[in-house]
Amino acid sequence: MSNTNNKKRKLSKADIAFYTFNSIFMAAFVIVTLYPVLNTLAISFNDGLDALRGGIYLLPRKFSIKNYITVFNKDDLLVGAYISVARTVVGTALSLIACAILAFIVSRKNFIFAKQLSLFWVITMYVNGGMIPIFLLYKGLHLTNTFWVYVIPGMVSAFNMLVIRTYMNGIPNSFEESAQLDGAGYTTIFLNIISPLCKPVYATVALFVAVYQWNSWFDVMLYNRMSDKLTTLQYELMKLLASVTSQSTSAQSMKNSTSSITPTSIRAAATIVTMLPIICIYPFLQQYFVSGLTLGGVKE
Amino acid sequence: MKKKVVSMLMASCMIVAALSGCASGGKSDQTSAGNSGSDGGVKEFTAFFSVPHAEINDDNEIQQIIAEKTGVKVKETWLTGQTAEEAIGTLIAGGEYPDFVDAGDGSVQMYEAGALVALDDYIDKYPNIKEFFTDQEWDSLRQSDGHIYWIPQFSNIYGEERVCAHNDEAFWIQTRVLEWAGYPQIHTMDQYFDLIEKYYAENPTMEDGTANIPYTILCEDWRYFCLENAPQFLDGYPNDGSVIVDTDNMKIVDYNTTDTAVKYFKKLNEEYKKGIVDPESFTQTYDEYIAKLSTGRVLGMIDQWWDFAYTAGDALKAAGLDAKGCQYVPLPITIEEGMHNQWHNSGGIVHTSSGLAVTTSCKDVEGALQFVNDLLSQEMMDLRFWGVKDVDYQVGDDGMYSKTQDMRDKDADTAYKASHKCEYSYFPQWEGTSRDGKNAMKPEQQETEFYDGLSDNLKNCFKAYGVKTYVEMLGTTPAPGPWYPMYTFSQTMTTATPGGTACNLMDECKHQYLPKVVMADDFDAGWAEYMEAYKKCKPEDFIAEMQTELERRVAEAAKYNN
Amino acid sequence: MAQLDKEKLSSEQVVEVDIKSAQKAHLVKEFKRQWVLIVWSLFFFAYGILFCYAPLVGWLMGFQQYKPKDGILHSKWIGLEKFRALFSDATYLRVIRNTLAMGVINLVATTIMAILFAILLNEIQGMRKKKFVQTVSYLPHFLSWIIVTGILHDALSGAGIVNELLTKFHLVSQPINFFAHEKYFWPIVAFANVWKETGWNAIIYLSAITAIDPALYEAAAIDGAGRWDKIRFVTIPGIKSTIIILLIMNVGNVLNAGFEIQYLLGNGLVQQVSQTIDIYVLKWGISQMDYSLGTAAGIFKSAVSIVLILICNEVAKRHGEERLF
Repeated sequence: MSNTNNKKRKLSKADIAFYTFNSIFMAAFVIVTLYPVLNTLAISFNDGLDALRGGIYLLPRKFSIKNYITVFNKDDLLVGAYISVARTVVGTALSLIACAILAFIVSRKNFIFAKQLSLFWVITMYVNGGMIPIFLLYKGLHLTNTFWVYVIPGMVSAFNMLVIRTYMNGIPNSFEESAQLDGAGYTTIFLNIISPLCKPVYATVALFVAVYQWNSWFDVMLYNRMSDKLTTLQYELMKLLASVTSQSTSAQSMKNSTSSITPTSIRAAATIVTMLPIICIYPFLQQYFVSGLTLGGVKE
Repeated sequence: MKKKVVSMLMASCMIVAALSGCASGGKSDQTSAGNSGSDGGVKEFTAFFSVPHAEINDDNEIQQIIAEKTGVKVKETWLTGQTAEEAIGTLIAGGEYPDFVDAGDGSVQMYEAGALVALDDYIDKYPNIKEFFTDQEWDSLRQSDGHIYWIPQFSNIYGEERVCAHNDEAFWIQTRVLEWAGYPQIHTMDQYFDLIEKYYAENPTMEDGTANIPYTILCEDWRYFCLENAPQFLDGYPNDGSVIVDTDNMKIVDYNTTDTAVKYFKKLNEEYKKGIVDPESFTQTYDEYIAKLSTGRVLGMIDQWWDFAYTAGDALKAAGLDAKGCQYVPLPITIEEGMHNQWHNSGGIVHTSSGLAVTTSCKDVEGALQFVNDLLSQEMMDLRFWGVKDVDYQVGDDGMYSKTQDMRDKDADTAYKASHKCEYSYFPQWEGTSRDGKNAMKPEQQETEFYDGLSDNLKNCFKAYGVKTYVEMLGTTPAPGPWYPMYTFSQTMTTATPGGTACNLMDECKHQYLPKVVMADDFDAGWAEYMEAYKKCKPEDFIAEMQTELERRVAEAAKYNN
Repeated sequence: MAQLDKEKLSSEQVVEVDIKSAQKAHLVKEFKRQWVLIVWSLFFFAYGILFCYAPLVGWLMGFQQYKPKDGILHSKWIGLEKFRALFSDATYLRVIRNTLAMGVINLVATTIMAILFAILLNEIQGMRKKKFVQTVSYLPHFLSWIIVTGILHDALSGAGIVNELLTKFHLVSQPINFFAHEKYFWPIVAFANVWKETGWNAIIYLSAITAIDPALYEAAAIDGAGRWDKIRFVTIPGIKSTIIILLIMNVGNVLNAGFEIQYLLGNGLVQQVSQTIDIYVLKWGISQMDYSLGTAAGIFKSAVSIVLILICNEVAKRHGEERLF
């Protein structure tokens, strides 16, 4: 079903009602979801002290780009950006390849260990040894203070694997069978037959992994705290914001640091700075899973 | 499409290749303890402090000057997005430490794990460190094995004490309210609320029509002390934090259940019903509270100075509301007229529970301590807290330091601070008077500098009461005794003991019931319900452990009296 | 008689041996054909053991009085004491209830909204509009909880937009103090989750919709199906397996209802309903230097999760639906 087809046909009353409802729903949805982003944008361009008074909605009250200057003045931001890009690219590539291969294996219906391997990975989603043993493991493997700690340990994600597997399961067996009759091995089937059909789900998973990698900072702090050259953009920004998070501070530590607190407006600016690259790259991935029916014909 | 994928893979492979070089670079970059750094024989140390704090830039100017003069540069890292306990836990598990550490509440864990270097053998070699504490104070820092492992950095006074701002708790009120009433003497809680009520009745809004909020209370998480610990002050006791120490009988008293506590919460309950207490008091977040204060709408509240002055206080000034009398001054309030108040205590406090320590990973302990020693010299103290002469402060003909408005503005600029100022703020430091006998160790304690920075409204208010500083508004009392403050002990309690468990339960109980009590339709019933829940927490366990500690501290101090 | 039995027996044996050898031959053949898969499986198995299962040694901490100085290997063994301590504490039972309740409400609300949004988005006419709406929808995912809860606090405060609307339309006479009443807390948390994550969660469903054969829509149209019918009979069945897989996976996560949002939105008045297991662990475990308690709570959560997904998986199996394993 494509749009052109639809226009040719006359719309029934029910359909008109449906489209009206849909438009209203979507308009409301856009307003509700756009608001917090615009609000953050407005605060990020507002003078820091003035922003403390609250009451800023869609436009800054006292315009200032000082928050962005503060953010961009942060030390090591360039190194951080470089590592962030690197870990996003490398991490996404590795993770996507690994998850796709694993998903391919466990979605082969006659593979003898398919079920066991699935269960083995499903369980990993719900168990966690805790921060200290994991830290000791990475240290033992000499992963700490290296770039690889960002991309190797999280390479296989059971969640992403299952998303891909579900998609692969939806592909009719006939493809694989006919290829097998032609004498194709599993490697060929995976690379030439299944993968091209899985573009939408690959794009989805790539997006998930890329965003995860781009936003990660906790692993930087845990494993590479002492290596300046391996810092990431997010970690540098988190450090900038750390003095504002009241979560883990106590009266005593607050009392001792008589410096002023980082205003909320800097938090807003940092948020916008990290969001921008994602917003820019997004459309390139989006075409794979939104264009949907117009791309069409995946199956035939 | 295939081509695209291939080229993408190629690109990522190249990045991988580039990075493997980078990764090994990162490895060797990891500064091992006390290694000579690259720039001209400057030793580089690392430090981790288990508190969140703003980082300074690598090319920080004053850090550079300090490095040139002392031959040492310390790369400081701070707590980010973790609790201090988690950070210390992984640090100990990993077995590799930065050279310096302040583990906060995890200090004892670090000591038990054998991660810290005993300092007592070194202290005598470094005159500035030795001078930092008296023998009695040094002894109070000894751990179970008789050695000293850390140096508390803060609240240590050199020479004469210099205080201007009252950094602690008080009932605060806006100067416009006092001015309107002709600067009356306010000594009791009843008078305080009376004044607020009268002012509010005649001035329900600000000049621009914004509704005034007569009285608000901050209750978010640990900041709820603003609500709960007032009874100790109202009874004329100092801030022992978690309990009252009855000096007549040397007994620990639970301030949560005193008659004064009942009167205080009953008063709040009445004021709540009258609409004087902000109905959002118990649900607002810290950000919302600061926002309210920053608009100048709030007439009065109870809080500690540092909790609002550096945010809301600055915002008020920025918005020009200081000219409208929206700044806050503290009032010497007690429950009855004629009582002696102890909102402000003079003298330093040794926080024995944590401090700066040197770890066993440090390869040059002597160099590290030499640096600590150097930082305590007057030249370094001036550099750390006043800054560079003629850039951050100027020296008058009489030798007094002062700042121009331009210098003050720069002090408030986050970006400037990161690139220029370097306080080494978690290394030991002095308060009080400089070794030149004139200036204060820190700019915020310099009286002339403080007074010049005040708005006219504040000056008028101070003049009307015949005082020159916030502290004089309240009066000062010396610390009551060698045990003070008891909170340095209660802070170290954990659920490993019944007292620590009780303390945690009481905290949770108060969080829940105090707001209910204030909002209760029937105060007496609400209070009874609260007391019932409170007793279930076994406060007596907590009190008993505090009593033991009090007696221990008194006995310990008695040894030095001869 | 005996003879006959013997014959029967031997013939059965022969058949059995035949089947066995056939199976064996089949297995060998399959092994040969599947060797690539097996090699890769071994790799993933080894990887999983190393990075996901080896750290579970840390679970020993749950049965010890773990002290950092002694490490995992030398801490004092205390058996089930921590578990006993947990389950004899009324507060812990209450936080389990809270976590479970918020977990379930969030799961239901976010799943339904994400599916609804994905389906309706798919029905938007015009690629530009569709892309725009989709792009906007996922943006809140990138805002931190502290920003989202800040805005929520503003909106729900006494003078906030919600109370203003409610009083304007005379639905209430007095502004409601939303954060002071226990009954509002869970719905607010659910709303916040839906608000922040709907667009993001919908992405998986959108990609699943792309896999639906357009011919099915054509056929439905020829049968005279309207938009509603197409959604009911084509779209929903088309993404059913994705929905079920995600549902089962997320059911395993109901005890991970979060920490930050409850922490940021909660206060003393609603702490009876706002505290989750994670907050409890922070308060009574980590911040008291009691790592063992946190580990014990973690083990409990894992056990519940695994039981839940086993049940769900079995249910899915019975109904012939897609399942996890």
